[in-house]
Amino acid sequence: MQNITIYIDDKKLEVESGKTILEVCRNNNIEILTMCHLEGVLDVGACRLCLVEIEGVNKLLSACTTKVAANMVIRTSTERIKRYQRITTELLFAERNHMCSVCVANGKCELQNLGYKVEMDSIRYPRLFPQCEVDTSHSWYVLDHNRCIMCTRCVRVCSEVEGAFNWSVKNRGYQVRIISDFNTPWGESTTCTSCGKCLHACPTGALWPKAIVQGQLDKKPEIIEELMAKRKMGL
Amino acid sequence: MSTEIVSSEKEIQNTDPRIKLIAAKMKKENYKADALIEILHTAQNAYGYLPMNILKFITKELKLPPSRVYSTVSFYHFFSLKSKGEHTCLVCTGTACYVKGALGLLDEIEHKFSLKPGQVSADNKLGVQVARCIGACGLAPAVVLDDEVHGKLTNEMITDSINAKIK
Ligand code: SF4
Ligand code: SF4
Ligand code: FES
Ligand code: FES
Repeated sequence: MQNITIYIDDKKLEVESGKTILEVCRNNNIEILTMCHLEGVLDVGACRLCLVEIEGVNKLLSACTTKVAANMVIRTSTERIKRYQRITTELLFAERNHMCSVCVANGKCELQNLGYKVEMDSIRYPRLFPQCEVDTSHSWYVLDHNRCIMCTRCVRVCSEVEGAFNWSVKNRGYQVRIISDFNTPWGESTTCTSCGKCLHACPTGALWPKAIVQGQLDKKPEIIEELMAKRKMGL
Repeated sequence: MSTEIVSSEKEIQNTDPRIKLIAAKMKKENYKADALIEILHTAQNAYGYLPMNILKFITKELKLPPSRVYSTVSFYHFFSLKSKGEHTCLVCTGTACYVKGALGLLDEIEHKFSLKPGQVSADNKLGVQVARCIGACGLAPAVVLDDEVHGKLTNEMITDSINAKIK
């Protein structure tokens, strides 16, 4: 791989071409907020939290799906970007029913942490309060649609890492929901191997094991990356 | 975990000529996963909607994950998973049936039941749909009432058959 010069937040960097802006930023300790990105699976650019400004490009682009190019001038924390991050976060909260105090993930939730990060002190949009199902049909696990942010990390882990393809997405717009098989209860899935990877991949309190109670969730999303690294090494 | 995914062509209903149409389409497309949408079109054209057992059949033949097929179906507004009305009358308007009087049957239905294709009666008892060739051309004009194929129909016969269903 050849090296190219890019500029991030006025810092000049020599980086390998072919990397995404997100990879380069993480390698250089430049903070980028992400939600749908998960180490070990492919990026889909779904959450729009990682938007960056690139000189000469009118639109904001997602750092996780945009590759660096020679002489790119990138900005990661302008007022415009901060404003968008705050809006996006508030909309994530407004779309479903996020009542942190009674959530299994309270204190260990990536969405909650994001709220702190962008200093969200209120939600300026009307909450949708949709009627959401809680699928408790699996013997060990629960899927609570109230807390799902449609990042599709579970979908990608289940297909790319476990190879089970239990999860997918139905409908579109605000009616999108995660589905198992033919929109069948999870417990009746013909494809789920009950491996539990999706639980660790999920950033919120949407997927969790029945064996825990409120606030006790302990997710380890990093196991996905470790697993994939081992697999690449042939272990 | 539990429930088996149905099923081979035989297991579904080998009396239903529409299965053959879908099977032929899949074969023509070489069971390629990326022909899914076209195959779903064929199925929806033959049934007026996508019955669950047909979706399962297609899923199995194309060796696709169920979730991917369901996801595709739910994404496009064109596809429908439900038939409308407690009973459905699907009139074939393919070439053979057209020539043998399908439009006459539709006129008769509109006259007797005040329903045009795509409509459902106010009491939700009867829904009328049209399909483009259900694979029973030898029986033209053909109509599928619920799941039964009725062939060589006259105007009187269609009214009687429908009445027998919805009474
Ligand atoms: S438990 Fe494993 S196989 Fe089952 S849905 Fe989750 S990731 Fe897929
Ligand atoms: S269940 Fe969790 S991992 Fe899956 S889309 Fe929803 S928030 Fe993301
Ligand atoms: S992390 Fe880049 S769009 Fe979600
Ligand atoms: S045209 Fe009606 S069955 Fe073929």
